[in-house]
Amino acid sequence: MAGVGTRILTVEDDERIRTAVKLALEDEGWTVDEAGSGEEAIELFHRGSPDVVLFDIMLPGIDGFELCRHLRKTSDVPIVMVTARADTHDVVAGLEAGADDYLTKPFAPKELSARIRALLRRIRPMSPGHSKLVFGDLEIIPDEGKVTRGGTELHLTKTEFRLLVELAHSPGRVFSRESLLDKVWGYDYFGDGRLVDVHIRRLRTKVESDAANPRHVVTVRGLGYRLQS
Amino acid sequence: MTEAIDAPEPVRLWTRASRTLAQLRPQRVGLRTRILLIFTMGFLVLSIFLAAITFSFAKSTLVNQRDRSNVEQAYRDAGVALNDLRSSPASAQPVIDTLSRLGIGFPLLNYHDDWTAGSARFGPEAVPALLKDRVLIDGVPARMIVTLDGEAVMIIGIPIPEVGAAYFEFSSLSEINSTLRSVALSLMFAGFITTLFGVVLGTVASRRVVKPLGDAAQAAKAIAGGRLDTRLETTDDHDLKLLADSFNDMASALQQRVERDARFASDVSHELRSPLMTLAASVEVMQARRDEMPERAQAALDLLVGDVIRFQGLVEDLLEISRFDAGAIRLHLEDLPVAEFVRQAIGVSSLPQTPLTVTERAERLVMHVDRRRLARVVANLIDNARLHGGGEPEAIVSEAENEGEPIGHVWIAVEDHGSGVPLDERHLIFERFARGAVAGRRSSSDGAGLGLALVDEHVRLHGGNVWVEDRLDGEPGARFVIELPAEEVRP
Repeated sequence: MAGVGTRILTVEDDERIRTAVKLALEDEGWTVDEAGSGEEAIELFHRGSPDVVLFDIMLPGIDGFELCRHLRKTSDVPIVMVTARADTHDVVAGLEAGADDYLTKPFAPKELSARIRALLRRIRPMSPGHSKLVFGDLEIIPDEGKVTRGGTELHLTKTEFRLLVELAHSPGRVFSRESLLDKVWGYDYFGDGRLVDVHIRRLRTKVESDAANPRHVVTVRGLGYRLQS
Repeated sequence: MTEAIDAPEPVRLWTRASRTLAQLRPQRVGLRTRILLIFTMGFLVLSIFLAAITFSFAKSTLVNQRDRSNVEQAYRDAGVALNDLRSSPASAQPVIDTLSRLGIGFPLLNYHDDWTAGSARFGPEAVPALLKDRVLIDGVPARMIVTLDGEAVMIIGIPIPEVGAAYFEFSSLSEINSTLRSVALSLMFAGFITTLFGVVLGTVASRRVVKPLGDAAQAAKAIAGGRLDTRLETTDDHDLKLLADSFNDMASALQQRVERDARFASDVSHELRSPLMTLAASVEVMQARRDEMPERAQAALDLLVGDVIRFQGLVEDLLEISRFDAGAIRLHLEDLPVAEFVRQAIGVSSLPQTPLTVTERAERLVMHVDRRRLARVVANLIDNARLHGGGEPEAIVSEAENEGEPIGHVWIAVEDHGSGVPLDERHLIFERFARGAVAGRRSSSDGAGLGLALVDEHVRLHGGNVWVEDRLDGEPGARFVIELPAEEVRP
C-alpha cells in the first residue's frame, strides 16, 4: 500500500466518475479530496496542500490547462492529467502547462496508482562524498532537493528535479528516452517519448541561461540527452 | 471544249469516310482515337478538295493560254495558205511545203475536197467528223482536243472560203500534260503533308481534350484512396468548368458524409468513455472485495469484469478506426531495431511468453515506425492467435528478401496452431467486424472483430502489407505476416 495519508486531489466534473475513482483510489490506500470544478480545486488546493493533483483537462469554467498553470505558479506538486485521447496536441499542451504525466480515459485506477507511486518515488541516494554535483555554474544538492545557477536557487518541480538528478548521476553519459522514461516515470518500452521531450524543454527554460542554445542539457541526435558542464 | 481529266469527287469520299467512322463504334474506339480519326479524315478531305480545285484551275489556265496562242498561229498559217493558193491555185502541195518550211509541224489542207497533209500521222482521218462538219459544212472556225495514240492533241479548223479551202492544224498538248502531271504530283505531296499535319493536330487536340478527363479520373482515384480533400482545378473554360464544378460538388458532399460518419463513430466512442470510466473504477472496487461475495455474485462479477475489459477494448478500437476514417492519425515515427521492438511488444501483449525467433540478418534490421501503434499491431496479432489460433503462437522475424539481395523489408510473422484460414476468407478476415463465416468455427468470446482491421490500417499507414497464409512448416495453422520497410544497419 502506498503511504497512508498521501493526499490526492481529484478534479472531475462528472460526479459518478469522481465517486467511483475516489472509491477505487481509497482502496489503494490514498486519501482523496474531490473537486467538481477548477475553481473549487484551487480553493481546496490552498486549504489542504495535497501530495498529488489529478484532473481532467475538459473542465467547465477554468479548464485543466489553466488550472495547471495556476498551480505551477506556487507549487512543485506532481500533477497527473486525464485526457480523452493520447494522440492529440492536448497531451503536449498539458505537459507544457506543467503536468508531470497523463492518462487517457478510461483508465484503470490501479494504473493511476502506479503512475502516482512512480511520481512520488524518492530520488536514488547519492554515494557518500557526492552530496553536491557541479556542472559549470550549475550546482545540484540532491539530498536537499536544491539546484542553483550562479548561486541563485532555481525552482524545479519534483519531476524536473528527478530528471536532472538522473542525468547528473552519470555526467556526460547519453540517456535514451526509454531509459529516462523508465527511471523517472517508471514506464516500460512503450512509454510516451513526448513526456521526456517536454520535460527536457521545461527543464532547459529553468537551468539554461539561453534555452534555445542549451549548454548543460544537450540533445544527442538520434540517441537521447546528456548533461554536461 | 472537252475535258481530258476528271476531277475526283470530294463528296463521295466524304460519305465513305463518315461511313467508316460510323463503323468504328464508340465502345470499341476510344475518344482519343475518334478525335484523331476525325482530324485526319477532315484534313485528308480538305486537302483533296483543295488539290482538285487547284488542279482544275491550273489546267484550264494552261489550256486557255495554249489555246489562244494556237488559234493565233493557226489564223496566221491560214493566211499564208490563202496567199499561196491565190498566187498558185493549181495545187495545195506548195502551201504545205511552205508551211513545213516555216516550221509548222502538222498542217492539213482541204482544197476543193482534196486533203493534203504535212505528216502521214495527222491526216484527215485523225480529224473527228464533228469538227469536219463544223468547218467544212457550216463554214465556221472550230477547235477540238482529241487523244491520238494516247497523246492529247488540239485540232483547229479554219475555213478559207475565198479559195474554197479549209485549213486544219494539229498541235500537241503533251507538254501541258507533263506540266499538269508535275502540278498534280506536288499537289499530292502537299495533300500528304496537310494530312500529316492533321494527324499531328489531331493527336495534340485529342490529348488536350482527354487531359481533363484524365485529371478527373486521377482525382476520383485519389478520393477513393482516402484523400477526401482532393479537388479538380477550376478553369475558365466553360465546358470544363461544368465538369470540374460538378465533380468538386460531388467530392465535397462525399467528404462531408464520410466525415460526418467518422465523427459520429468518434462522438459515440467519446460519449462511452465517461460511463466506462465509472464502470472500470467501480468494478475494481468490487473486485477488491470479491472474496467477501457469495459464489453466485462472484461468478456474475467475473462476467462483468470480463465484459468491461472487452467493452473498453471495443471503444478504443472504434475510436482508433474512426480516427483512420477521419484521416486524423498522426504517426510519431522513430527508428527502431525490429527484433528488440518485437520482443518488447510481445512482452506487453496478452501472451508475453510467446517464443520469438529472429533470423541472423533480421537481427540487424531497423524500421521507421510509430512504436506504440505498431505494438498494438503485434498485440492484436497475438490476441488473434490466442482467441482463434488455439493459443501458444510463435513469432518469427525475418528479412523479406532472398539471400544475397539487399534487404528492403522485414517480415514480422505470428504462426498459430488453429485450423488456419480458408483461401476464400483470407482477404475478408481483415475487414471490420468480418467474423462472418469465420465466426462459426471460432470461439464466441472473441474480440469485437476490429483487431485485424486495425492491423491492416496501421500496417498500411506505415507503408507495409499484411496477409495470412498457411504455416511454413506445413502443419495446420495460420501464419499472419506483416511486411514493413526496413533497413540493414552495418554493425
